[in-house]
Amino acid sequence: MLTSFFKAFTNLFKKPQTIDYPVTSIEKDKEYRGLIEYGESECIYCLKCEKACPPGAILFVPVENPPKNEKNKKGLKYHYNPHLCIYCSECVRACPKPEEALWQSNKKPPIGIKDDKVNDGWFELEKLKKV
Amino acid sequence: MKKIEVSIESVREKIKEFYDYKKWHFLTLNGVALEDDMLEIQWIFSEYAVKNEIVVYYAHVNCDEVIPSVVDIIPSAIISQREIVDMFGVNIEGSEKGLYLDEDSQQRPLRGCSI
Amino acid sequence: MKKTINIPIGSQHIALLEPVRFKFECENEKIVGVGSDVGFVHRGIEKACTTKFKFDGIGYVVARVCGLCAITHSMTYTASIEKLIGGEITQKAKYLRILLLELDRVHSHMLCLSHTCENAGFEAMFMRIMGDREDIMEIQELITGNRVQFDYISIGGVNRDIDAAQAKNILAKLELLKHKVLGYIDEFTNNWSLSLKFKGIGVLTLDDAYRFNTIGPLARASGLQADVRNEIDYLPYDEVGFNMQTHSDGDINARNLVRLSELLNSIEMCNNILEGLPEGEIFTKLKGKPKGDTVVRFEAPRGELMYYVKGNGSAMLDRVRIKTPTFSSIPAFSHVFMGADYADAPAILASFDPCLSCTAK
Repeated sequence: MLTSFFKAFTNLFKKPQTIDYPVTSIEKDKEYRGLIEYGESECIYCLKCEKACPPGAILFVPVENPPKNEKNKKGLKYHYNPHLCIYCSECVRACPKPEEALWQSNKKPPIGIKDDKVNDGWFELEKLKKV
Repeated sequence: MKKIEVSIESVREKIKEFYDYKKWHFLTLNGVALEDDMLEIQWIFSEYAVKNEIVVYYAHVNCDEVIPSVVDIIPSAIISQREIVDMFGVNIEGSEKGLYLDEDSQQRPLRGCSI
Repeated sequence: MKKTINIPIGSQHIALLEPVRFKFECENEKIVGVGSDVGFVHRGIEKACTTKFKFDGIGYVVARVCGLCAITHSMTYTASIEKLIGGEITQKAKYLRILLLELDRVHSHMLCLSHTCENAGFEAMFMRIMGDREDIMEIQELITGNRVQFDYISIGGVNRDIDAAQAKNILAKLELLKHKVLGYIDEFTNNWSLSLKFKGIGVLTLDDAYRFNTIGPLARASGLQADVRNEIDYLPYDEVGFNMQTHSDGDINARNLVRLSELLNSIEMCNNILEGLPEGEIFTKLKGKPKGDTVVRFEAPRGELMYYVKGNGSAMLDRVRIKTPTFSSIPAFSHVFMGADYADAPAILASFDPCLSCTAK
C-alpha cells in the first residue's frame, strides 16, 4: 500500500512516455523505407521496374516530348505514383543500375490533394498505357 | 502431402473411419474450381506432433451435386463448410449461405463456371 | 412463453477492436445459445490473388490481409511458392525469417495482453504494456524499415541484412524488454484484477480442445500439445531453442500465462539467433513458375495459418486458399461461450485475441 502511494507520487514528476510531437520532431531512421527516386539521365528504359512493381505504381507512357536520352527509343516517360506505391523496393532490386537510375530514399510521400488530380490523372495514364 | 481420392458418396464413411480426433487435426475444407463445371472438394488433415504429415481427402463433384456434411464427425468443420457454400455456390447439407455474402446473393466468386 | 432473451455483442461494441457479432441467447445471466457473424470486412483477397496479380507479387498482397501477423502471411505464401518451384534458400535467410516471425509474435501477444487488461478495467496496465510494445515496433522498424507493413520476405530470401551495430542495439533492447515481461508475469499472477478475477472463467477442457480442433494459445492453455513450429521443418526451429509452452487450466488466466511464457521463449529465440547468426548471402534468385499444388502451414501469433496454393505453370495461380487462425477457431469460441455469464463475454472474447480482418480476408 505504502509503496503504491510512493510510486503514484513519484510518477507525478516523471516525463511522459509520448513525444510532444509538433514541438519536438520525430527522428526518422536513415534506413526508413520511403519514396522511390529516379535518375532520368541514367535510365536505360528496360522497363524491368514497371513489370516488377506489385501495385503498378510505375508507368512508362509514350509522350510527345520525351526526355532526351539515347536509350529511349520508343519516346517513353517515367511516371511514379507515390500514393499507390507500397515502398517494397521490388523495383530497385529489379533495376540493372540501382543507386544510379532508381533508388529508395527515406522521404515521406506528399499529401494527396484534389488539385493534384491524384486519382483521375493516374487513371488517364493507365488508359494511355493500355492503348 | 498425401492425396487420397474418394467418391462423393463414400466420403463420409471414409472420413469417419479415418478420423481419430486425438491423433488427427482437421485443418479445413477447401474447394478448387476445375474445367468443365467440375469442382474438387478437399478435406485436409494434419497429424499432431509429427513433422510434415498432411493428408488430403478429395472428391470431384459436379456444380449442382449435393455434398454430404461432416459436422457430426468434425464439429469445427461447420465454419469452413459455410465458406465453401458462399464462395463456390455449392450445396452442402445443412449449411446455409450468408457468411461473407448476403443470404440471397446469386454470386459465386471463386467458381469458373457460368451461373 | 419464451423464457430466453437474445442479446447481441457487436458488430460495434466498446470492448471490441474489430467488427464481429455474436448473438447470445440468454437465460437470465447465463448464455445458452450462440450464433456468430464474422463476415463484415470481406475484401475478396483470394479472388484478387488469382485474377489481378502475378505470383511474384502476391507475397505483398497477402501481407495486407492482416496488420498484426503480416509477416506470417507473406512467409507462408513464400514458403509454398518456394516448395512448388523447388528452390532452396540460404541458412542465414532462414534465421532472419525466424527472427522476424518471433518479433512479430512478441508484439502481437503484447497487444492481446494489454487488451485483456483493458477489459478487466485495469487501464494503467494497458498503457504500460502498450508503451513497452513501442520498443518492439522500433526494433522491427530498424530491421525492415517500416513499423507495420514489413515487406521483408520475398521469394528466395529476405530483403535486408542486419549489421553488427544493429544487432547490438536490438540485443540491448530485448534485454530491457525481458525484465519488463518478468514484471508482467508478476502482475498477472499476483494482482487480484488480473489473476483471481480470471480464474475459472471461459474454461475449455482438453477433450473439447481436441474435439473442436483448437489451435494456438487457446489450445496450449488447455494442455493440448499443438504447435505448428513443432510440426514443420522448413525453418530450423529446433536449433534456435524453441520450447512449447502449455498450461492445464484452460481458463482466461491460463491463456494469459501461456502468452507470457511464449513472450519469454520468443525473446530467448531472438537472442540466440542474433548471437549465432551464420554468415552468407541473404538472397538466392529462384527461377521457374509454380506448378502443382501444396499445403504449407506456419504458426501465426494466434495459431496455425495454412495456405493451399495451386499453380499451372504460368504466372497466374489457379487457387490460393488462406485458412486463418481465428477463422477455424470460431466453433471453439462459440462452445466456450456456452454456459458463461453474459457479463464475462467481452473478457472471454478478448482472451481469444480474435483477428477479424484475417477471418474475413
